[in-house]
Amino acid sequence: MAEAAATAGAGGSGTRSGSKQSTNPADNYHLARRRTLQVVVSSLLTEAGFESAEKASVETLTEMLQSYISEIGRSAKSYCEHTARTQPTLSDIVVTLVEMGFNVDTLPAYAKRSQRMVITAPEFPDPHTYIKTPTYREPVSDYQVLREKAASQRRDVERALTRFMAKTGETQSLFKDDVSTFPLIAARPFTIPYLTALLPSELEMQQMEETDSSEQDEQTDTENLALHISMEDSGAEKENTSVLQQNPSLSGSRNGEENIIDNPYLRPVKKPKIRRKKSLS
Amino acid sequence: MPLTGVETARMNRKKGDKGFESCYSLSLQGFVELTIFPTVANLNRIKLNSKQCRIYRVRINDLEAAFIYNDPTLEVCHSESKQRNLNYFSNAYAAAVSAVDPDAGNGELCIKVPSELWKHVDELKVLKIHINFSLDQPKGGLHFVVPSVEGSMAERGAHVFSCGYQNSTRFWFPCVDSYSELCTWKLEFTVDAAMVAVSNGDLVETVYTHDMRKKTFHYMLTIPTAASNISLAIGPFEILVDPYMHEVTHFCLPQLLPLLKHTTSYLHEVFEFYEEILTCRYPYSCFKTVFIDEAYVEVAAYASMSIFSTNLLHSAMIIDETPLTRRCLAQSLAQQFFGCFISRMSWSDEWVLKGISGYIYGLWMKKTFGVNEYRHWIKEELDRIVAYELKTGGVLLHPIFGGGKEKDNPASHLHFSIKHPHTLSWEYYTMFQCKAHLVMRLIENRISMEFMLQVFNKLLSLASTASSQKFQSHMWSQMLVSTSGFLKSISNVSGKDIQPLIKQWVDQSGVVKFYGSFAFNRKRNVLELEIKQDYTSPGTQKYVGPLKVTVQELDGSFNHTLQIEENSLKHDIPCHSKSRRNKKKKIPLMNGEEVDMDLSAMDADSPLLWIRIDPDMSVLRKVEFEQADFMWQYQLRYERDVVAQQESILALEKFPTPASRLALTDILEQEQCFYRVRMSACFCLAKIANSMVSTWTGPPAMKSLFTRMFCCKSCPNIVKTNNFMSFQSYFLQKTMPVAMALLRDVHNLCPKEVLTFILDLIKYNDNRKNKFSDNYYRAEMIDALANSVTPAVSVNNEVRTLDNLNPDVRLILEEITRFLNMEKLLPSYRHTITVSCLRAIRVLQKNGHVPSDPALFKSYAEYGHFVDIRIAALEAVVDYTKVDRSYEELQWLLNMIQDDPVPYVRHKILNMLTKNPPFTKNMESPLCNEALVDQLWKLMNSGTSHDWRLRCGAVDLYFTLFGLSRPSCLPLPELGLVLNLKEKKAVLNPTIIPEAVAINQEAANNPSSHPQLVGFQNPFSSSQDEEEIDMDTVHDSQAFISHHLNMLERPSTPGLSKYRPASSRSALIPQHSTGCDSTPTTKPQWSLELARKGTGKEQSPLEMGMHPVASAPLSVFTKESTASKHSDHHHHHHHEHKKKKKKHKHKHKHKHKHDSKEKDKEPFTFSSPASGRSIRSPSLSD
Repeated sequence: MAEAAATAGAGGSGTRSGSKQSTNPADNYHLARRRTLQVVVSSLLTEAGFESAEKASVETLTEMLQSYISEIGRSAKSYCEHTARTQPTLSDIVVTLVEMGFNVDTLPAYAKRSQRMVITAPEFPDPHTYIKTPTYREPVSDYQVLREKAASQRRDVERALTRFMAKTGETQSLFKDDVSTFPLIAARPFTIPYLTALLPSELEMQQMEETDSSEQDEQTDTENLALHISMEDSGAEKENTSVLQQNPSLSGSRNGEENIIDNPYLRPVKKPKIRRKKSLS
Repeated sequence: MPLTGVETARMNRKKGDKGFESCYSLSLQGFVELTIFPTVANLNRIKLNSKQCRIYRVRINDLEAAFIYNDPTLEVCHSESKQRNLNYFSNAYAAAVSAVDPDAGNGELCIKVPSELWKHVDELKVLKIHINFSLDQPKGGLHFVVPSVEGSMAERGAHVFSCGYQNSTRFWFPCVDSYSELCTWKLEFTVDAAMVAVSNGDLVETVYTHDMRKKTFHYMLTIPTAASNISLAIGPFEILVDPYMHEVTHFCLPQLLPLLKHTTSYLHEVFEFYEEILTCRYPYSCFKTVFIDEAYVEVAAYASMSIFSTNLLHSAMIIDETPLTRRCLAQSLAQQFFGCFISRMSWSDEWVLKGISGYIYGLWMKKTFGVNEYRHWIKEELDRIVAYELKTGGVLLHPIFGGGKEKDNPASHLHFSIKHPHTLSWEYYTMFQCKAHLVMRLIENRISMEFMLQVFNKLLSLASTASSQKFQSHMWSQMLVSTSGFLKSISNVSGKDIQPLIKQWVDQSGVVKFYGSFAFNRKRNVLELEIKQDYTSPGTQKYVGPLKVTVQELDGSFNHTLQIEENSLKHDIPCHSKSRRNKKKKIPLMNGEEVDMDLSAMDADSPLLWIRIDPDMSVLRKVEFEQADFMWQYQLRYERDVVAQQESILALEKFPTPASRLALTDILEQEQCFYRVRMSACFCLAKIANSMVSTWTGPPAMKSLFTRMFCCKSCPNIVKTNNFMSFQSYFLQKTMPVAMALLRDVHNLCPKEVLTFILDLIKYNDNRKNKFSDNYYRAEMIDALANSVTPAVSVNNEVRTLDNLNPDVRLILEEITRFLNMEKLLPSYRHTITVSCLRAIRVLQKNGHVPSDPALFKSYAEYGHFVDIRIAALEAVVDYTKVDRSYEELQWLLNMIQDDPVPYVRHKILNMLTKNPPFTKNMESPLCNEALVDQLWKLMNSGTSHDWRLRCGAVDLYFTLFGLSRPSCLPLPELGLVLNLKEKKAVLNPTIIPEAVAINQEAANNPSSHPQLVGFQNPFSSSQDEEEIDMDTVHDSQAFISHHLNMLERPSTPGLSKYRPASSRSALIPQHSTGCDSTPTTKPQWSLELARKGTGKEQSPLEMGMHPVASAPLSVFTKESTASKHSDHHHHHHHEHKKKKKKHKHKHKHKHKHDSKEKDKEPFTFSSPASGRSIRSPSLSD
């Protein structure tokens, strides 16, 4: 199958590339990309069970694929730049895909599918054709300087940020005659004050993940356990809207454990009896 | 108590539609069914407790019953009275509280048994009382939290819970609100389908209502429980079943589940611990913990459930809160055994419960946090109680009100009555609990822990046997603990006589104050110890008995037990060692350890290293002991007991020498040393350094130490990135800069070096690699900055502007601004940093660096900020009020006390004002004026009737500001002076006495004072209403209540007018409770749902109830007809007197004096001898 697709792709693009041999490198690049995409489309079609396809339809699909990928690229670039980076990261792509309505979770399974075809793409050129090796000064590795730098950088960022916030929002001041030197962002009451006070900020959560992965594992373990608990009886009470947060995707796991726990708050809510005494004598 | 019964409370609460944002109508509709077994014939009146509830209808065995509602505590003193003297108020308040005290057979709600049932009663047949009531926007007892955001009630996290101080259940449903009236319960709550109702006992089932919008939670509590231990919490709670104990369920508000998991993950160990030491299973079949917002107290324990503040929840990253929260959990669980399951017989037995629960909680502390922590805690508690007793004049654990003579009044030194829990100052009550567990520890010292635990086990097993008994409720009295019963089981189990101990610490108030000094007699090789006592100051008592003294000599440590007797001050203690015979020998310590010491510092002639008096803290005492500085230093270095170390640190403050400095530094460096000792050594070192500032050599104290311990090796000015894995060094790292900031140079300024050092710590603080949050650490760094601030040099009171700002202060301010602003973007746990920043700003203001201005604090004090922030801001406003003598701010605070939605904040403002008063009674102040007196008087007289704690707080404040007598800023009453001249008495305002006596006399003249109380306590006795009440028609009693309610301007009155005209029975059942009359079209938020108690099969366990002591007090009802005449008569009498007061004052007074003497013994001693209880009146006269 792979061979058939490859030949189809090669055959399809062969004529084109032949005719425009003499154009400039940009066009060449464009054509090469186009050809690769056609190979991909063809192989996908083969994978889907088609034995042959009209050229026009292949072209259309290629066009669609190309614009989809371009959109991913464009959008990822925006996300990347939005966070003041130049190098896109995986998360940029993930966010982009999510944004475009693609269910990212299905991707790993799709990548591992059995009928996946290996496309024999042309070899990459020698790495040095596209790797740039500029010369740097010796990077500063002195601990003291680094700490110093990190500290002042953070301080500058915090200062700039808070000043910006203070400038754009309401402020309070300690001095009546001068409101700009020590601007305090005005105190704003929260509707639910305990939430911000008690829940760790996202930053802290992130730090936690970075610093100690082993504990994190432990935590997810207990989390799972608790989820199982709250899952108890989920089958029986499906028709009842229970207060419990049910996560149906997890209900299948570890049945044995669930059955042991019998807590009245997890029991299903009963429906009222039809003949119930309701009058007040 | 006349009535015991099976009480079935039914609360039905539901929520209406949303879109009600501007006008919450928070109310509930309910009905209570009590099953009562009369134990005497002639029972024709039944008294229940009820506050705030609007009662629609009372039926006894399906017959309409007339009832009177009268609550004298609503307005303690008559509003027209011009009395402004606290003595008068306290007496009246105590009388009012006793008048509704369920333990004395009283109550606010008096129900008349219909005459048709009299025969039925005479046959001692069961009575069933149905009460329909509603509760509209309750101000106390039940607290609604409704965040004003979009969404349904559940989405908004709206919740409600019961709260209160001591027995406060009457605030939310009519009951016999006593800890000694046990009955079984069936509770039903109908709530919105998205809500969970958590209450006592087992959740039997949850059933939808017919429209499927609501659910009814059915609870069954088969263990006999007092109404005061009944509680309720309703909210959109997240549910967590404890993974270790499936019968334990935890509840928290939405989004907090991860925190709940972490916080409660430890609870099962506490369970195991208590069950093991008590060799008794947890008495209830289930346990629930509920974490709610705007908590009244951090921990409240009720039967089989505990209500906690949501602010106790924390994640795994928080270090400081973890032990505190675990302590709260353990405390509440201890109270489940003693306090909830085992209840108390009467108020004077409270100390046993508090003592036992506090004591076993202490054992848990010892096991969990170690002996050092435990001993440190005991010492801390001991110091607290000693300080409080010496300040206020004593805490009495077991007040007996039997004597009747005025001079026996056990609490004459206090400005409140200790006869009743609801009149106690909150501070007194906390100290009371503290003393109770310390005394319990003393008992343990006396009879050994083994026996102690056996006693507890005995109490518990008797109670659990009793609790399973169904029909004979006299068995249930085993579930109540009394002082005598407790002492009896102690003597049964241990065979020891602890009576002297009880007499000393329980029946008597006061602590012991020792002064010790010594001399060494070289010739006789004897230590001459002199121990003096001060037993004349207030709050002290004389101690006679054994006292342990530990002497550390060169040859070892020796315990001596001295007999402290009346006249012997000197004690000769023979020494074992000849002074310094063999220098090279190691010195054995108390714990068997042998150490090398450098003995060069000690006196060559004496073998004494150090001496300790009462090392085991087996007396509630304060010891001031004199010994040489080197002895304190030895004690600090080598004594292994943390209490001894702490004592020596305290003593060393007075010896600013290089040797002390060295000893303290050594301790600081010693890793094995208890961290709290090291922390206090920091502060001591700072003080010593300041005292020896002119001779101090080297860098500022602790700086090099801190650098060595916490800074990078290669660059000593930069602190290591945070790693708080070792909690001991974490606490030290936190504390050292705070102490260092207290250092002062010769100009009394904080050394520049220190300030730079602290600023660098802040600058280089890096928490990225840390497993734990550094919010407490950063907060303490701000505290350190605040500590470094010294008063500004002010020239001619110039206005504080930015231009003349001290450059150091500018740096500090820079940091504070940044921290405070960053908190808005990245808030820290419990906003610890904001709290510290606010405090620091106030310090800057107070020291004149920044213009003093309360505006910032006032904005942070508003409702909607996290409670810790609010309290910190309010503290600053309170301080501002004092320093700047601002009337405006005082008014603002007082308004907040009245209007703030959070009871805890209201309480706290009063508390802070009392601790840091704007002026005191001996002070001239522009703030002290008549309007303020009137305002505060009104506050405690009627404004705080919904919250006992708040009212007592107001009394405390009034006392602090004006003292016991009439405030000096008030003009003298018109005729007062004339009378004084005639009588040649120093009574400032004689009008007090006639009135007080009049009341007393009135009370006294009714031997069966029961019904008469209605007359005397009625706040409107000048109106003629009550004489005209015809008790025989339902209609009129309704009208009566409505009328009174209207007069009182209670918050729930607007709706009442609707029901007043209702004359037929059917109209008495309200269709809706509309909380807000202005929006008649809207549906009520919580509205009525009448339910009926199932009389079917399931109620068998509920049907029984009797009380052994019930028989006697009931008899008072029989005399009702005659007594009421009395009451009327005296009422008129009193009334007339008031009118004539001016003319006949002199004569009048004499008459009353006479009367009062004669009647002194009588008032309130009406309970019959058979009941075994007698109730004393508070001292109304003299």
